[in-house]
Amino acid sequence: MITAGIDAGSRSTKIVLLDPAARTVLAAGAVDQGVHPERIAGELLDGLLAGIGRSRADIARTVATGYARNTVPADTTITEITCHARGVHAVCPAARTVIEIGGQDSKLLRLEPEGRVRDFAMNDRCAAGTGRFLEMVAQRLGVGLADLGPLAAASASPAAISSMCVVFAETEIIGLLASGAKGEDIVAGVLDAVASRVVTMAGRRVDEPVAFTGGVARIAGMAAALSTALGLPVTIVPTPEMTGALGAAILAEGKERG
Amino acid sequence: MTRRIETLTLEQWDARYDALRAGPLREPAYGGPLRRHVREGGDLRLAQLRFDPSAAGLRLWNFLLTEEDRLRAARAEGHLLVGAMKDLGTVPVLAFALPRTVAFYPDGAWWIPCIMQRSDRLLHRADAMGVDESFCPVRAMLGAFESAAHFPLPDVLLCSVGAACDDFSAIAQRLAAMGHPITWWEIPHRRPPEPGEESVDLPGSAPLRTKGNAASREAGGDAGDARDENESTPIPCIPCIPALSEGCEDASPKPPDCVGGIPAPTTDAVWDLPLRAPRALVDFVAGELQRVRDVLAAAAGCELTDDMLRCGIAHANRVRRTLAELRDLAFSAPVAPLPALELHIAEMLALHFCSDRSECLRVLEDLLAEARRRVRAGEGVLDPAAVRTFWVNPVADLRMMNVLEECGGRVCGTEYLFTHALDEIPEHLPPLEALARTALADPMAGPARDRAARVVRDARRWSAQAAVVSRIPGASHCATEGAVIADALRRELGIPVVELETPPLIDPMLPGLRTRIQALLEAARDRRTP
Repeated sequence: MITAGIDAGSRSTKIVLLDPAARTVLAAGAVDQGVHPERIAGELLDGLLAGIGRSRADIARTVATGYARNTVPADTTITEITCHARGVHAVCPAARTVIEIGGQDSKLLRLEPEGRVRDFAMNDRCAAGTGRFLEMVAQRLGVGLADLGPLAAASASPAAISSMCVVFAETEIIGLLASGAKGEDIVAGVLDAVASRVVTMAGRRVDEPVAFTGGVARIAGMAAALSTALGLPVTIVPTPEMTGALGAAILAEGKERG
Repeated sequence: MTRRIETLTLEQWDARYDALRAGPLREPAYGGPLRRHVREGGDLRLAQLRFDPSAAGLRLWNFLLTEEDRLRAARAEGHLLVGAMKDLGTVPVLAFALPRTVAFYPDGAWWIPCIMQRSDRLLHRADAMGVDESFCPVRAMLGAFESAAHFPLPDVLLCSVGAACDDFSAIAQRLAAMGHPITWWEIPHRRPPEPGEESVDLPGSAPLRTKGNAASREAGGDAGDARDENESTPIPCIPCIPALSEGCEDASPKPPDCVGGIPAPTTDAVWDLPLRAPRALVDFVAGELQRVRDVLAAAAGCELTDDMLRCGIAHANRVRRTLAELRDLAFSAPVAPLPALELHIAEMLALHFCSDRSECLRVLEDLLAEARRRVRAGEGVLDPAAVRTFWVNPVADLRMMNVLEECGGRVCGTEYLFTHALDEIPEHLPPLEALARTALADPMAGPARDRAARVVRDARRWSAQAAVVSRIPGASHCATEGAVIADALRRELGIPVVELETPPLIDPMLPGLRTRIQALLEAARDRRTP
């Protein structure tokens, strides 16, 4: 039996094909999101299946999650909050707090020992504190997303970014550049500001261990900024951009078993 | 076995209305199809909502959406129009005790931008006055006063200040600066009594009204005021208000011992919620209400006697008792007999009776009868497995209540910031004392922990499995309380809680809001399974 998890996010679509009996990921892949999420997900799914010599007929159940979950082919939809929790629990069972920063929102989940969501907070009202915000910063500084971490690491004096509105922050960055601030200091300041924003969602108490997932976890320096803001160690989960799809595939197996 | 009753879109209501008209539908003068409010009133949001399909539900909506007509008719008949602002539940009781007097809440204009999908441009008008979106949507009231298009300008304007939200105080002051004279009365912050200081119980501290529990029973500690719970208080009638005297004997429906197989609530439940206030505070508020009484009497040109006030309180309590029974039935039934949206509207009626106290009672009685019938028949509007969800704070966009149900939730308790307007007003006390105690029980007048304690008590009582703490954008009062309430629910009940912000129109935010609600319900369902 194969189960499939499709995470149709705002920036990319990720798919995991799982052999639940063997607890093995048979295939996984990601492509940029577009205006036709159904077609994009379908093509990615078919490509992954072809790669392991299978077809859609071999999939017992598909769970879709993410922003576009209702537009992609699936048997069931489950929110990304539940899916990320289950995905992180599968690869990092000790985690009690999960920080997930995706393209368009950021979330903080508190987990029960068995991986269930005890509580969550979510920022989806503005792009500040999300991958979209960091993309804007990279674009404004003329560097790639992958360069943000190394740049921040080179900073000796992070700039103070006072506004967490993506529009106003861009204005501040322009002002900082005009006043001669170094790119690395701006980037370090932005990472600190994003971390501070996310930590605000945590409220007064954060249970350890803290796991960091979502596409933004790939940006070097972000986990360190979160760790500093929290005052706690933060662990990046393996293949952090895939945990939502992994959780969806695991939940698909649970649904299949009834 | 449960029979599912489907809620209806506006379009489906058109056909339903024709079918009802073909039968024995008896409508009040303000009746008619829902569609007319879109066509004639510009209430465009109705086309995006789902409604209860009953005649009682139709009557509720028609009653709500014709308030402006009632106010204009009252003005044409020479009645005194009293604009009561902010206190949410107290001043209307005083005003309706006078003959030929109608009270309403201009603050209620905050729903107009939602109902009319902002075609009213009230918020734009407020923006132009410098009261922008950093303020609560109640600012729509300023636009309504300026345009005079949504209600006739009141003859008397009264506004409570002090322990009220900052937004509203600022908005009301702007209104006064526009040339609308306001009589201000102060509601002080409800502080706990000092050790040794004389104090009294406030409404809401006793268990909620239950079978066999007489109205307004003191929870103790105020022995001089306490009465035997079986002692009935006759509703006094005064001949100068014939319309109000009809049915003045207590004809309110008595809760049956058992409704549809569900045992009626018993009185053995005791909640640890001692809501008390220093005597000095109660005396101060009673003094303030005496000023309000004098202003109203002078405007009406007749005395507002204690007997008239007692009669007014008794009538308000009939509305509150009916509503209490409706809420209890709807929240405790195994399957939701009424949708969250209609229940939300019904609760709002308690504030000022939607400008017609007698009709308000009939509307609520109709709804209660329909709910009872459905519970007895095993009918409901939702899946029996819907997640029992406690909802805190009113929503700016009514669509939100539909969304909760579409996601698989069911409202099993609410706290819309005006619980003091739902609790019975003590009838065994001097009327101003009783009203002062009621006003001081306002959740907005006291510390957030008091409010949180009541939310926890009620959520436990109605077996909530999840909770939503809704915020109103720009409403400063809710900004800090939400976290206190959410923490208390998590700590005391161990249920998942989500905080949401609902602007006057949620459409652009709907995907994100749905995700949060669905995630909340998923977390709650996850806990059901071992």
